[in-house]
Amino acid sequence: MDITKWMKDNQTRLIAVIAVIILAPLVYSSVSYLVAVRNGPDKPFLEKPDAKYQDCVRDTAYMRIHHMDLLKEIREEFVRHGIRGEIRLRTCAECHTSRERFCNRCHETVNLNLDCFGCHYYPEPEAAVQQALQGGEEWIDESS
Amino acid sequence: MESAEIESTEGKKLESAGRMPAEAFTEDRPVPLLIEPDLAFIRTIQGLGGETFKKCFQCGTCSATCPISPREDPFPRKEMAWAAWGMRGRLLRDPDIWLCHQCNDCSVRCPRTGRPGDVMAAIRRESIIEYSVPRFLARAVNSPGWAPVLLAIPAVLLGLAVGFRESIGNALGFLPSAGNRIAFAYSSMIPQWLIMIFFGFFTLLAIVALTAGLVRFWKGLKNGGQDGQEPVKGLAASLFSVAVSVLKHEHFSSCEAARPRYVSHMGMMFGFLALTLVTIWVMTARINPLITSDFVYPFNFWNPWRILANLGGLALLGGCLWMVLERLEESDGSGRSTYFDWAFLGVLSLVVVTGFISEMMHYLRLVPHRHVVYFIHLVLVFNLVIYLPYSKFARIFYRTVAMVFAESRGRQWGAAATTEDGVDSQVH
Repeated sequence: MDITKWMKDNQTRLIAVIAVIILAPLVYSSVSYLVAVRNGPDKPFLEKPDAKYQDCVRDTAYMRIHHMDLLKEIREEFVRHGIRGEIRLRTCAECHTSRERFCNRCHETVNLNLDCFGCHYYPEPEAAVQQALQGGEEWIDESS
Repeated sequence: MESAEIESTEGKKLESAGRMPAEAFTEDRPVPLLIEPDLAFIRTIQGLGGETFKKCFQCGTCSATCPISPREDPFPRKEMAWAAWGMRGRLLRDPDIWLCHQCNDCSVRCPRTGRPGDVMAAIRRESIIEYSVPRFLARAVNSPGWAPVLLAIPAVLLGLAVGFRESIGNALGFLPSAGNRIAFAYSSMIPQWLIMIFFGFFTLLAIVALTAGLVRFWKGLKNGGQDGQEPVKGLAASLFSVAVSVLKHEHFSSCEAARPRYVSHMGMMFGFLALTLVTIWVMTARINPLITSDFVYPFNFWNPWRILANLGGLALLGGCLWMVLERLEESDGSGRSTYFDWAFLGVLSLVVVTGFISEMMHYLRLVPHRHVVYFIHLVLVFNLVIYLPYSKFARIFYRTVAMVFAESRGRQWGAAATTEDGVDSQVH
């Protein structure tokens, strides 16, 4: 069958389908906007660390993009050079008590499937684990 | 050449040339023209695929065979005559050269191998150069010798912007990071706010230059072509019907020799449209009121915006590759390819190819390769944007303006001309 002939016979329908495809994300975003407006403002996306911790080991801008580079760096230092520095996974867990509500939240959004923690242990406090297991909804409000 | 010069090359009334007494002319007799051929123009057309166009003996096969030509005053026979006579001014004010979509059915059937399709394309190129503001830039963009310089300009500008991103960011009050809503590895090298400001500024510049050119073009159309024709249809209504026919590809779908272009052009156009929409969405993420999430970018692979971007990219890639292949084998549909064609098609293809390579490298976490490819990608996009008013890309806007002009003057052409009865389709 001649595809161009079919296309020509169904010009209007074809354009309608293409328009739906192109406008779908806009519709999706508008609907999510309306839903968000109805349900009140969004909850904080990432769980904030405890207020008593002021500074991360690097500044936020660096950590947001390069946290995995930092982890690789300290792994290199320890495994190859035997230097056990100040920064360890345990140091992360001190502030970011729940991997579920901090790390994974972002990774899931951008479709990153990490396999680090199949072997490595993220030392979460027991309470945080329980909270995560219960689908804990205890958000630390940004404004408080 | 300034527009005043167009008037002078137009040919003077014999009366003023003193060849005939003034009383020889009465109101009901047409005023004869003294033709002053623009030889450089004729040579330009001969150099752009119309080397044999002077062989044209005005049989009119081209106009008869053209699937989208109007019944009244059809093209391209009359344009072939004007071109052979070197009537540059007349041609550049003729909307019909833009109604032509280069189906090349005329070129295939021309008994003198005059290639009217390529002649019309060459005139369109001249038209863009003629009306562009500033014109020297249009000449440079369309001469291969300048390509390295013109490609270096965006590379250097973007390189400087990236090199001084921290000082610029501090001066403008932007965090060195990408802001709260966007966090992706590229933004460590090329922050999103930088792209937003940098491309925003130069896009604005291109829009200003393009608008200036189009205003000159519109004036030209009003001064020439269909003399004294008053608008019969409002501009908004004309724009609407033109937009519908363009989206539907009514004219490309009427082509025979260039039938594959119906599909490839459609993929190209809608792919580009989709990518433009996604780009606007990402670039305005900081100020977009519809975005309520704390986090916008990078998208999840199954995010509707990402799906649209990938689909659009694939459509554009497919359309580009098909067109490149058609041009490489010099098929009937593509006609003769010139630098004008290759520069635009080449840059557009490279933009989509580097875009996809960049995406792959992002998934593969190849550092610093992905930054290099992304930089090249941005330079090419920049190249596409700032030279838009002067390259073949400008044709989108020139053609739309000419089509709106023709529509508002009640010109019956394209599908409207052929669906009245079956006569036209029986010609073939």
